[in-house]
Amino acid sequence: MSDGLVEVKPADAFENGDREFVQVDGTEVGVMQVEEEYYALQNSCLHDGGPVCTGKTHRKLLGEFTEPGKRVERTYTDEECVISCPWHGWSYDIETGAHLGNEDLKLPTYEVVVEDGVVYVGDRK
Amino acid sequence: MSQPETESRRAEDLDSYHVIDCDCHYMESFTDVAEYMDEPWKTKFEGSNFDEKGAKQNLSSFFPFSTGDRQAHGKITREHSSYPDSPETPERIREGMSSIGVDETLLISHLILAGAGTTADDTRQSAFAKAYVEYMSEEVLDPDDGIYGLAPIPYADIDASLEILERIEGSEAYAGACFVTAGATPPLGNRKYDPLYERCEDMGLPAVFHTGGAGLDEYVRGGYQEMLETHTLGFLESNMSQIVSLVVQGVPEKFPDLDVAFMESGVTYLPSLITRLDEEYLKRPEEAPLLEKEPGEYITDFYYGTQPLEVSADPEFLEKCVKMVGPEQLMYASDYPHWDYDRPTTVIDLPFLSEDEKRGILSENAAEVFGL
Repeated sequence: MSDGLVEVKPADAFENGDREFVQVDGTEVGVMQVEEEYYALQNSCLHDGGPVCTGKTHRKLLGEFTEPGKRVERTYTDEECVISCPWHGWSYDIETGAHLGNEDLKLPTYEVVVEDGVVYVGDRK
Repeated sequence: MSQPETESRRAEDLDSYHVIDCDCHYMESFTDVAEYMDEPWKTKFEGSNFDEKGAKQNLSSFFPFSTGDRQAHGKITREHSSYPDSPETPERIREGMSSIGVDETLLISHLILAGAGTTADDTRQSAFAKAYVEYMSEEVLDPDDGIYGLAPIPYADIDASLEILERIEGSEAYAGACFVTAGATPPLGNRKYDPLYERCEDMGLPAVFHTGGAGLDEYVRGGYQEMLETHTLGFLESNMSQIVSLVVQGVPEKFPDLDVAFMESGVTYLPSLITRLDEEYLKRPEEAPLLEKEPGEYITDFYYGTQPLEVSADPEFLEKCVKMVGPEQLMYASDYPHWDYDRPTTVIDLPFLSEDEKRGILSENAAEVFGL
């Protein structure tokens, strides 16, 4: 195992939707597999410390103004790219940790690496 | 009798500032406006036995179909206005302006404030607004003398509203379009109003939203008994509801070059609204997908008339409110001759404003927004 990596569990034990929690330098980090990709984020919502990484992952709703007087067209992204804290709904881009309503609010995110069939959490991005 | 010393000093203070009043009310008479109405409204009005001022104050003073007497039962008087006893005349406007220290003024219809809440149909509002635009243009407005108008927009009738905008296009006398915020159903962020904002944006015409709602709204029917209650609540609620609607529905993103101003709710409600809306937005951003920034940042992109400025509040609190909204977004407004009007001294006296900020609020911001 490389220095600075925190072991999570074997990759073949991960399924889409799984959440695991590890301590990284004193911070609880949620590690999850969403649509075959791994993500790791601080499990403490920037709003009130809620367990954000236990929350729903979902697609992002986009709005497009096409012309005056017409309804705003609302579509979902193809990929699940948002995680929302179950306490109050603060929603973050699962990749960058940026809050959907204010990019200056960034939930810390962490590297996830798979070595020899094992999933590890690495450094904070 | 010589002028009291305090009054004389105030006049000297005022002389050093150029003042544009963004919200002055011309107390038009129904009779005068009816002369410009199309049929059948002209005939209907003339046969209605309606008083020339419309609703008479003396009835509501005792049996309030509104919430009582705006002049507080004889307590408030206006030496330089015919209001509330008689309709205004063009000559009296200049007298009123001079009496409070205003150099240029933007006149807003008095009667339309009551009309916007009319839900019986949308035709009579349009009939009134069209006639008002003609009457004011023909008999009252005088841009060469600093007397401009804001054209009432009967927004429930999109076609009539577009006709009014067409009518005033290129007119030097009309400096903006006026939307009364009380009674707008659906609220003014709805897509049905998009063509009006698009047209205003194309014309470079500011959209001025003027509140209303004391005695014209659900507060009376809900059992509120005093104008102190309904005027406090209704005038706030009417503006707040439309600000929220405009922002959340993305009007500033749809029409980024449209200048938006809100009149007559003071300034201290804005930080409260901004912080509450932002707090909710962070929990439900998916419901406002057109927004590119927090709603509060759009709210501080809007302009605001200062009146009724909360001058009796803790100065530190008032300063914080002004700074949150931004002095560059504020424009002096008197609301003259209404009962709670503000003189320009309300701005001049603020201890925390720089001289540049005072000049901005008293005239320069408005000159830029309204192209005066």
